[in-house]
Formats: sequence, structure tokens, C-alpha cells
Amino acid sequence: MTRRSSPRLAGYAGLAALALVAGLAAGRVELVALAAPFALAAAIGAAAGREPQLGARLALDRERVLEGDELPLTLELSSPTGASRVDVLALLPAALPTARPNPRAVRLAAGETRTIELPLRCARWGAFSVGPALVRARDALAFHAWEARLGAPAPLRVYPSVETLHALLPPFETQVYVGNQVSRARGEGIEFADVRPWTPGDRIRRINWRATARRGELWVNDQHPERNTDVVLFLDTFAEIEHDGRSTLDLAVRAATSLAHRYLQRKDRVGVVSFGGYLSWLLPASGTRQLYKIVDSLIQMDVVLSFAAKGVDFLPPRSLPPKALVLALTPLLDARSAAAILDLRARGFDLVVVEVSPIPFVDPGKGELADLSYRLWRLARESLRARYERAGVPVVEWRDGVPLNVPLEEVAAFRRYARPARA
Amino acid sequence: MTLAVLAVLVYGAVLADAVRRARGIGAIVAEIGLLGLIFLGFVLTRGIEELLPPAMVCLGGAYAVAVIVHGASVDERAPLVAAGLLLCCELATWSVDERLRVAVERAVVRARAAALATLTGGALTAAALVVAVAAAPAGRGLVWTAAGAASAVLVIAVAIRAGRH
Repeated sequence: MTRRSSPRLAGYAGLAALALVAGLAAGRVELVALAAPFALAAAIGAAAGREPQLGARLALDRERVLEGDELPLTLELSSPTGASRVDVLALLPAALPTARPNPRAVRLAAGETRTIELPLRCARWGAFSVGPALVRARDALAFHAWEARLGAPAPLRVYPSVETLHALLPPFETQVYVGNQVSRARGEGIEFADVRPWTPGDRIRRINWRATARRGELWVNDQHPERNTDVVLFLDTFAEIEHDGRSTLDLAVRAATSLAHRYLQRKDRVGVVSFGGYLSWLLPASGTRQLYKIVDSLIQMDVVLSFAAKGVDFLPPRSLPPKALVLALTPLLDARSAAAILDLRARGFDLVVVEVSPIPFVDPGKGELADLSYRLWRLARESLRARYERAGVPVVEWRDGVPLNVPLEEVAAFRRYARPARA
Repeated sequence: MTLAVLAVLVYGAVLADAVRRARGIGAIVAEIGLLGLIFLGFVLTRGIEELLPPAMVCLGGAYAVAVIVHGASVDERAPLVAAGLLLCCELATWSVDERLRVAVERAVVRARAAALATLTGGALTAAALVVAVAAAPAGRGLVWTAAGAASAVLVIAVAIRAGRH
């Protein structure tokens, strides 16, 4: 523990010395009497410098929680020697506020163990480290203070809350594995597709007897097979806009979690690409394990400032498999990600852009110049959106507070009428 | 806030006593005391604890001027003044300590108040003892002066050591 002595200890000793000298010089006992209390206080202060042996332990109820949950942080303080006053501050990330006072000052009797409970509200997703505790013990008159960082930090993962999605975007093309998505192709399945003349090898149970009776030759039913799909969540982490504790990246991560959860429920394979200052990716896979891997990678995402030119070429080819549906979640703030999205379209990917709108996070400012700048900025965004639409990429704006179902439904409506233009 | 007001009140009481005692030179004593009050104001409002000794020097100086110029006999209230000076210092320090937003439990406040009361009581006793010993016919002369000087040197040495530490 680091010991610090109050500057008044030296001050008292100095005052006592000064009063004594003055008393001797002036021959007045009153001045010596003035010196006595300060000399006494300085002596007591010097004698009180015994280090309290403090111990602290931080413990969390769980290591994994959902956004919006509350969990208690238990802080145990103990001292075999006791301390008149112990100021304790548990170092908490800003996303984990507590309603209870932190810091607080407590008194510890000799041998006492004090347990302090701080209920933490998990306001934002992320991977956090809770603690350590900053502890400062003082003697009864605060002549000395001992400071230390005690207690090992406790790791905590706060997973983003998942939004209920009623419908998902179907990709244009499916993969070869069995899944829940009705394929456009014809083969063995449940959904009726068409009738066609019988060919050798067709099973008898597939014969459509009505059509056969009407046409005088064997006709069979064709079905659409149920297949799975590959979905790649493409997150733009080049830039974000933050306001009042919420940011475009927050929204994008929440949306990605909800989408991954729902697609994986449907037995699809889901991958993630974080395209920003740091490039990271998860190859498409299915199952609960993949969901945890995706969420773990999502909560560690952050915007890292970088001026390096980056393109889709930097990504390994397996992270963007052919026929995959690429769902780009971007605030459209950085030219590099905007160009990468167009590049993906040019490579023939089935691409959807969900624009996480930064508009609600931007203060337009006051004055003519600010207003003009704001309008120009919005115009530039409109122009970029129009470029995407010309390339046949559905772009849909998603604002904070609006359910994710709304933009997905808009995209579905767009795709009902639009067909992919092969580049 | 309460502690700061109490510190100022104690300071004001000691200063008022010094001014009352000074009579003819009351204005000078008051000016010295007010200078100290400015220092104390800085301590209480800005939290500059280092200005506490100068404030006490001013107040003690004001009292000393009043005692030296007009006091022919020993001031019987000197122990009270001495304890008042220390109490003012301690209250001001406590006030500075509580500037941080820390939720303090009652036991902590009670413990410090008790410690402060004990210290003030001890200070009062020590000062009264000094005055009482001075009043006793123990004798005068070079030996007593040398003993006084030696104790002063000892206290100064302790002060320097404490300052270095």
C-alpha cells in the first residue's frame, strides 16, 4: 500500500515550533500555550502511522448476462487491524452504472469483514472488466492515508438484447444442404412447384394422376426442396456517431445479433465480417456454438481509427462464400466501406444494405453555415443511396427506435419486384 | 458545508477575542486576522490545505500582538484560544476531506467526531497545563531559558523531519 501523510502534520509541527520560538523571544507563556496543542497533535499524528492490513475481494454473480439485466457486484473488505475510515471505489465501466453510492466510506473494526453489494445495471453490450477496487484507508484524524488497488478484476460479458424478428430476408439462391428455406430449384421437397412429363427414374408416388388422366400419358409433380442458406453479416466499423450513450455501432451490433440468432434458428449458416480499422471475420457455420462465437466477436467490436485503404480483397475468400446473402449494416459514413459494398455487388453477391441512420445522432447546429453543411451532408448521403439503387442494391434506412422488422419488410418488398442485375 | 461554517465560526470567535483584547490596536489585529481569514477561505473553497498553516500563523499572530502589546498578566483564556486554533484547523481539514463525493456512513462520522473531541480536549488540557506550570513558582533563570530553547529546537527538528517525510 502507498502511504501518504497529510501536509498538516508538518504544518502543525512548524506552527508549534514557531509559537515556541515566539514565546521564548517575547517571554510570553500564552504563546507557548498556543504551541502545546499543535505539538500534541503532531505527536499523535506521528504515532498514528500504523498501516492497516486491508484485503478486498470482488465477485460477480455471473460472467454472462443480457443487456438490460441487473446483477450484484459483491465487494468484501477485511482488515485484521481495523481502520477508522476506508474509502472504497469499485472501478466500473461507464456501461455498468450502479444505483448505490460508489465510492463510499466505511469503518472497519479489527478482524471485521464488511460486504458491500452494488447492483450493476448492464446498460450496454460489451466485454468488460469489473474492478479492481481503489481503496484508501485513513487513521482516525486523517493524518495518514494508505492507498492501494485491491481485488482482481472480474470479467463480464454483456450480450446484446435480441429483437423478435417475424420474417427474414430470403436469399435469391440457396446452398446444397438441407435447411428450412424453400429453394427456387426443383427437386425432392414438400412445396409444390410444377408438373412435368414422367422420365425414367421418377418414383411412382410422384405421379400426378389427375394430369396423367387428362393428358393420356404419365405426368409427375415437381417440388421445391428445402435448403439452407449462407448469410454473411457485414458490419461497417470504420466510423460511428455517438450521442447520449447510444451510437450507430450499438444499433448495428444489436441488429446483427438479432439476425444471427434468427438465421441460425432456421438452420442457416451465418458468418460475420467486421470491416473497419481492424478486419475480423468468422466463417459461416451453423448451430448454437456459432451463435456464441458470433455474439462474442460482436461484443468486442469497436471503431478503430485508421487511414489505411482497405477493400474486400483483404478478406479471405471463404468468409464470403458464393451464393451467400450479404447483409451490410453500415452508417454509410466512410467512403472505404461504401466502395467495398459496391465492390461486393460487382462480384455478384446477393447484397442488402441496411443503413443504420446516423441522422438522429447528429446535431444540425445553429446558423446558416451549419444548416447549409447539414443539408449538403444529407444530400451527399442521398446521392450515395441512389448509386446503390442504380446498381440494383436495396438500401433501407433504419433509425433508432424503429423495429428491425420494418426495414427488413421494406427490403423484402423491394426484392419482390427487383431482380438481380448480373454485373 | 457545516464543517466549513463551524471552522469559520471558531476562527471568528478567536479573532473577536483577540480584537476585544487589543483595544487601541484592534484595527491592526483585525487586519492580520482578516488576512488569515482570506487564507482560510481559500482552504475551504479551493481545498488548498497548504494554506492552513499561514491562516493559523495570521490568527496566532493577531492574538500574540494583542497579548504582547496590552497583556501585562497571563491571559487565562490562552488554553481556550490554543484549543480553538487547533479545532479550527481540524474542522477545516475535515471539511476539505469531505469535498469528494463519497457516501460516508454514520459510524465513520461518529468516529472522527469522537477523535476530534478527544484531540481538542487533550489540546485544552495540554495548553492549560502549560499555563498552570508557568504560573507555578518554579523559578527563573538561565537553566529554564536553556530548557525552553532546547525544547524549541527539538520541536523544530521534529517539524523538519515531518516535513521531509
